[in-house]
Amino acid sequence: MIEVEHLSKLYGATPAIQDITFSVESGEILGFLGPNGAGKTTTMRILSGYLPASGGTAKIAGFEVHEQSMEVRQRIGYLPENPPLYLDMTIEAFLDFVARIKGVSAGDRANRVNYALEKCNLTERRKTLIRKLSKGFRQRVGIAQAIVHDPPVIILDEPTVGLDPRQIIDVRNLIKGLAGDHTVILSTHILPEVSMTCDRVAIINRGQVVATNRTEELTTQMFAGSAYELELDGEIEQARTVLSQVKGVTDLEQLSSVSHSDGIHSYWRVRSDAPDAGRELTIALVRNGLHLYEMRRVQASLEDVFLQLTTEEKTEIAERIEADSSPESLNSDAVSIEEGMP
Amino acid sequence: MNVLLANIFAIYRRELQSYFAAPWAYVIAAIFWAIGAFLFTIITFSDNGIIAQGQIYDMQVQAGGQLPPIDFAYELIRMFLSTLGFIVLFILPILSMGLYTEERKRGTLELLATSPITNWAVAVGKLLAVVTFFATLILPLMVYQAIVLSAANPPIQPLVFLWPHLGLLLLGAAVLSLGMFISSLTDSTIVAAIATFGLLVVLWLMDTIADRLPGVLGTGLAHLSLLKHYTNLVLGIVDTSSLMVFGSYIFLGIFLTAQSIEAFRFQRS
Repeated sequence: MIEVEHLSKLYGATPAIQDITFSVESGEILGFLGPNGAGKTTTMRILSGYLPASGGTAKIAGFEVHEQSMEVRQRIGYLPENPPLYLDMTIEAFLDFVARIKGVSAGDRANRVNYALEKCNLTERRKTLIRKLSKGFRQRVGIAQAIVHDPPVIILDEPTVGLDPRQIIDVRNLIKGLAGDHTVILSTHILPEVSMTCDRVAIINRGQVVATNRTEELTTQMFAGSAYELELDGEIEQARTVLSQVKGVTDLEQLSSVSHSDGIHSYWRVRSDAPDAGRELTIALVRNGLHLYEMRRVQASLEDVFLQLTTEEKTEIAERIEADSSPESLNSDAVSIEEGMP
Repeated sequence: MNVLLANIFAIYRRELQSYFAAPWAYVIAAIFWAIGAFLFTIITFSDNGIIAQGQIYDMQVQAGGQLPPIDFAYELIRMFLSTLGFIVLFILPILSMGLYTEERKRGTLELLATSPITNWAVAVGKLLAVVTFFATLILPLMVYQAIVLSAANPPIQPLVFLWPHLGLLLLGAAVLSLGMFISSLTDSTIVAAIATFGLLVVLWLMDTIADRLPGVLGTGLAHLSLLKHYTNLVLGIVDTSSLMVFGSYIFLGIFLTAQSIEAFRFQRS
């Protein structure tokens, strides 16, 4: 449905994106994940036909986004970075206007407006002026205008920005509900957003796609090199020896030590590439008579993923994906990954 | 074709809606009507206004004076509309300044540019809306003129009354069209207003310069002068070339707007 090949965009001499290639199948949700300034918005704008690319091609439903702009415009719903709203209109009047310029027929218009209002939980506020809405509501009106004409392809640039946690959940469910009938591409800098809503993910950094994966594979990959923080009681040197000999440990670092009335507590960070690193660690500690006060998995942040993806060789990543597929890391922890990127 | 008209109408409707919702639109209307009413009162009823002059004229004629015939109703329209033509030059930039600057500032241009609607349709819809608003500014003025002129003896021809007002509307449309183009060039409403006003001053001066320039250049420039053609219409000289000039200015404004929005889309970083 969406095919992007070798897309690049220069602003003056500065490349915003370089040689981006990916595709989205019909009915699929693709997450476009990257830190701010990575080129997400630029890519979205090119896809929507708002900006011309400097090189490469982007096709939506077989139409080139710039050459056959009108064909593409009829088939997309687009939420830009800042929701495009007329502040002096009511929500309902605004959606009616959007439906009109998107070419929804007069007979369908009221239905479609109602549908969008309902989907975005705006029905009760339909007569409210957009000027009087909070950021979260405005964002939802922005999403409503992107779906009001029932487009086959929906492009959402940071759809959950400015929403409170409750609304974020609603919007994510809404987006998930769009899959199947619609092809969705959404950009975000929040990792859990991708793991919760998207089928596939393209990771972009410094204007380049550094990885494209199914979402589960990304999550697996992230936990592959997971780290633990431990608080132990006992001889520091003994602890060091024991920890360093645990199977799969690649890196060991003592963070600090504090004297307590019952002895010395030492704090450690252990990095392991074993799939069941947690189990290995606890078993080793118990066997050697070290007391464990706290053990915590250090959650991989988006920064870690980028670092990993941008510093390591691609082959290594591929091997790792194949090697590690421990199922427990997929579900339970996926939700609580740190929303760490500034 | 139907789609195009539907698109133009959608834009037109939205723009009009926003005029009715905007406090400043009412303020402009109030100020314009107050100035118009004040001028009309002065021109008609003051000590040396049209009515007073008419009375003096009648007295002189009755006293046996040989005076050329004067149509005072026509004089009233001419004086009032000439003055209005000057006043609207201050109002029009304010009407056109926000046409595109607001869209650019609010990011709604991105919505329009990614919807299946051409830049032309957007520009035409916007221009129609702002001209409609301008027409509603003129309408009440026409009502009280009509009331006063209904007392004219001999009665005036409807066309003598209508042409000058059509001229005013065309002058407005031409200026608004150029103002719309200027507003498509900037994010700043104030800059758009000042630049449009500057352009109007140039157009206004063109009239004066044209009179002084010799030969073809002078006549050519005079032919392009909006005010000259407006004056002609006010005088009741209806010439297709005048209508063509107004039409050309209107078209030029729409054309440049569509082009500048297209270009804006390309260069935007």
